[in-house]
Amino acid sequence: MKKTFARKYLGIPYAIFLVLFVIAPLLVLFYYAFTNATGHFTVENLIGFFTDSNTIGTLLYSLALALVVTLVCLLIAYPIAYVLARSKFNSKSVVIMLFVMPMWINFTLRLTALKEILTAIEGNLAFHPFINTVIGMTYDFLPFMILPLYNTISKLDGSLLEAARDLGAGEIQVFLKVTLPLSMPGIVSGTAMVFLPAMTNYVVPDMLYNSTYIMGSLIGSYFSAYDWHNGSMIALVLLLIIVLFTLLTGSEEEEKRGGALL
Amino acid sequence: MKRFLASALLITLVFGTLDIKSFASEDSESPSGEIVLKVCNWEEYIDEGDWDEDEVIDLESGDIFGENSLVEDFEDWYFETYGQKVKVQYSCFGTNEELYSMLTMGDEYDLVCPSDYMIMKLMSEGMAEPFSDDFFDESVEENYYINGVSPFIREVFEENEIGGEKWSKYAAGYMWGVTGIIYNPEMLSREEASTWKVFTNKNIYRRITIKDNVRDAMFAAIGAVKSDYLLSDEFRKRQDYSESLMDEMNDVSDETLLDVQNYLQLAKDNLYSFETDSGKADMITGKVAANYQWSGDAVYAMEQAEEDDFILEFAVPEESTNLWFDGWIMLKNGIKGDTAKKHAAESFINFLSMPENAVRNMYYIGYSSVISGGEDDDTVYDYIKWNYEADPEEEDTVEYPLGFYFSGDYEDEDYILTVSEQQTRRMLYAQYPPKEVIDRSAVMLYFDTDTNAKVNRMWINVRCFNAKRIPVWFYCLLGVLLGGGIFVVIRTKIKNRM
Repeated sequence: MKKTFARKYLGIPYAIFLVLFVIAPLLVLFYYAFTNATGHFTVENLIGFFTDSNTIGTLLYSLALALVVTLVCLLIAYPIAYVLARSKFNSKSVVIMLFVMPMWINFTLRLTALKEILTAIEGNLAFHPFINTVIGMTYDFLPFMILPLYNTISKLDGSLLEAARDLGAGEIQVFLKVTLPLSMPGIVSGTAMVFLPAMTNYVVPDMLYNSTYIMGSLIGSYFSAYDWHNGSMIALVLLLIIVLFTLLTGSEEEEKRGGALL
Repeated sequence: MKRFLASALLITLVFGTLDIKSFASEDSESPSGEIVLKVCNWEEYIDEGDWDEDEVIDLESGDIFGENSLVEDFEDWYFETYGQKVKVQYSCFGTNEELYSMLTMGDEYDLVCPSDYMIMKLMSEGMAEPFSDDFFDESVEENYYINGVSPFIREVFEENEIGGEKWSKYAAGYMWGVTGIIYNPEMLSREEASTWKVFTNKNIYRRITIKDNVRDAMFAAIGAVKSDYLLSDEFRKRQDYSESLMDEMNDVSDETLLDVQNYLQLAKDNLYSFETDSGKADMITGKVAANYQWSGDAVYAMEQAEEDDFILEFAVPEESTNLWFDGWIMLKNGIKGDTAKKHAAESFINFLSMPENAVRNMYYIGYSSVISGGEDDDTVYDYIKWNYEADPEEEDTVEYPLGFYFSGDYEDEDYILTVSEQQTRRMLYAQYPPKEVIDRSAVMLYFDTDTNAKVNRMWINVRCFNAKRIPVWFYCLLGVLLGGGIFVVIRTKIKNRM
């Protein structure tokens, strides 16, 4: 009896944090999203979101950007995570550290360096704003993709792979039929950690001189014009999209895990 | 019940702390009789002292050296002069909008230093506290501001009104400047840089930047779309040229906004970037050929580039230029009618307006101070001489009249400086432009709420990717891909069942 009480109390710091910094701001966001400048209830902001071709265009642009960034991250991260996890290195943790280490350097600093490198390669940053943004975001988010993939692949049950080989599967077949499906949870969580920030992180396009707004910068521009209402609505719709995305991938992940176990 | 108690506790905690805070801030005089003055200024916008020994400015009128920060010096000076202790709580803001948000959230300051349009906004919303009559008394020696302000700035503050009240009643100038184009003369001619149409100049394709804020970008775009009219003799010879120019540059009619939007969309495809702070660095490293810049930052960039023997120049477009200034304004919600505090706030402005302190600020910040020193004090003029006067041996020199800023008389012979010819295109030109530049300058007024929304909409139209720009074939492709994907998924599912 006593024990459960003590455990409950451990949650108090987080509960306070949750109320003050998650729930309260969300309520404020809701309030502003559904009111107009005079403080009256309105759904105009919501209608505005879906009828304004600028907002929809920005949403599509951000989605396309996030999609490309995620794919590039996945294509780079999967092979390296696979090689690392399957290798017989003793010092695997050192190698993985090498990939994570850049994360410890302040990211605006890293972007400034990247800017110089890209200028040296391309001659003028402004010629390829979209590609530059993709490179910048990939550079930033790659560790978030490698780590979950490495974790899932290295925890793979080796006996399953041996069983597949015993039953006559070639290396490629083993990979496609066993390793890949089993590493799906890693792919899903890596995707979630890259895709969502890529849609809203406006510092990267800003620093790499992409003049086209993504969702984050659009919200910012409403806020700097004191239009809290439309800005909040965009933030809210974005939040809903993210929740939907998480629900979808989450259920798929469970399905896959279940399938693999069977 | 427990849950209720917990939330009750939380609420008391939260409101308890708030209460203590508001109680503390209402108390302007601490128990020791010290006045607490809350000042909020731009970042790096006041001399913070701690100069190196070799940084001494040795003027004819005496040496000037920044040992301590001006804020500390003020506290000492106030105690020596008035025998009253004052403690300055100094804090900073990043943008005018940030300051405004802070104020609307309930932050209380006694003295703030926003830009022209934010001063107008604060005045029109009744948040500003007017100066006392004593502040304008020219017979008092300590009234350094009114005795030392440049006749040119004084005129601007006297002539402009908001809601029927003169700016000078509420605001005292601090730094001022114009906007223009800083450019690399090897890549762009002075003539090409002297028009707001420069942003669509294909000769510098992807090698020019503009400010990433709607007001500055809009001013440039209005100048560009109205260029022909503004440069026509018919317009320039008008009796009411100054007033008409101000009207034209502040035109926010729907047609003009549409033109501005179209121009900026064109410019966007020619720009290197919209920048907030990186423009100077990109200019100095030679990444761009031209950069929309405020005069003070342009001076800084030209000086930095010169250290690498890289010569940059500054041009003010022929159409018009945005005359801007930052100024001190007292706030009602901070002062709360406290006369002692008000005196301290006014004295702070006066202290910063002492000619040697104005020079310290100009040296540290790089912008032009509104202070010229008045009739008897030549410290500020000596500083400009110290900075820009040509060596006696130098050959290519010109006479540069500065009387307009110091005595109000453009022809005044006491204020003609002999400078090297290139200064007429460089730092001196940016810091104290010739009178014809001032003649074509216009102050940009603040936007009311409706205009603000309209202008922001225009800006979003410029910056966003419009869904209508996506060609139909893309939607078709998307449809085919989605359809194909669904088909494949269903087929595999059916197959698996069988």
